[in-house]
Amino acid sequence: MLRAGCQLFNQSTVAAAKTGSNNFALEFVRWRRKPRWLPVAKSKLFRVPERKKQSEEERTELMRLHNHYKTQLRSVRQYLREEVVRQQETSTADHIVLTPEQEEAEFQRCVEINAAWNAKIAIEREKRLAKEREEKVAYVQERLDARRVREEERRERADERVRFEIEQSKSFITRENLDAAIETALANPVDHNFAIDLAGNMIKGRSTQPSSN
Amino acid sequence: MSQKVIKYIGRTTDFRGNTLWEIVGNLPDWGIGRMVIRNMFQRYPEPCYMRILKVQAVDEQADNERKVRVTVEKTWRGVTQPKPVEIYSTSYKADYELVPIDQEHKYLDNKKKVGSVVLPTKIELPPLLREYVKDESGDPNPLINVHFKKTHNKQARLAKDGEQATLQLSMDIGKPTSVSAKLYDGLI
Repeated sequence: MLRAGCQLFNQSTVAAAKTGSNNFALEFVRWRRKPRWLPVAKSKLFRVPERKKQSEEERTELMRLHNHYKTQLRSVRQYLREEVVRQQETSTADHIVLTPEQEEAEFQRCVEINAAWNAKIAIEREKRLAKEREEKVAYVQERLDARRVREEERRERADERVRFEIEQSKSFITRENLDAAIETALANPVDHNFAIDLAGNMIKGRSTQPSSN
Repeated sequence: MSQKVIKYIGRTTDFRGNTLWEIVGNLPDWGIGRMVIRNMFQRYPEPCYMRILKVQAVDEQADNERKVRVTVEKTWRGVTQPKPVEIYSTSYKADYELVPIDQEHKYLDNKKKVGSVVLPTKIELPPLLREYVKDESGDPNPLINVHFKKTHNKQARLAKDGEQATLQLSMDIGKPTSVSAKLYDGLI
């Protein structure tokens, strides 16, 4: 076994020396393998792998090493198992025996601690809730004020609009001054036509002549 | 016509013989009282044989080799086991052979017996654990009990009081036997 390993090592170094590479020339064959789901290659179909014979000395030595190792391991495991059992028996961590009075006292102590905790937490809770309530009131108040301001502004804008319309209504054409308005319109015809010269001057009216300058 | 040559293709096997059902199924009274051997066990110089005590047939299963439940009195390496042994799970192995009645004396006359191994009762601890135990207990060289698996055909036992162990145990690879000593030439 060991001898064989040494020989293999020697052969590989010899081969590496022949090829002129360093001692450990690696060749990756990972991506060149036939996928596992393909059947056996035709050329390998009837190949029968050789059964290697173990020599007698190797066989006995491996058997001896195996037996030796198993006995060692079993001994250590048994020792550790016994150690755990001994630990469990001697330690009092998980089986303390108490009298009923002691149990009752212990329970009372626990209850008291619990009550103290509850009281402490209740005070904290009260504080927190009061603070939250105040914050809520302030927030609502703020929102109400904002709404009032908004309403006032809106009303102001509406009044402004109404005043503007009333002001405008003075020049409206009504049934009474309709004739006068028609008269005025006929008397003052408006000509919306205009022309623009190259300089960008606007010349209003259809018949207006550009002023000579 | 030329001689037909049979060429075997496939893996070779070390088994030689028939399955147990092929043997007992052909014998009158299922071969009770007859001697069968496992050819695999003939590698030992001590006699290994079995004597059939009881046979129970098992229904044939379609995709399985036929097994049979046989109770035998087993002699392994010259030691007859005190209790009868039932062979079922290994009965399909084509390694059994019937011993003709006039050949049985070959096995019965072979009085060789495998030697028993006497193990020491104490073994040292592995190095790291030894240091821990040394620190805890203050014992400079703590020892633990040897423990091994006892099976019906194992010839090992612990040494009794004042008895010398035949096998030395320690927390290393131990000493190679004289047969395999040359594997370690120049190494230890």
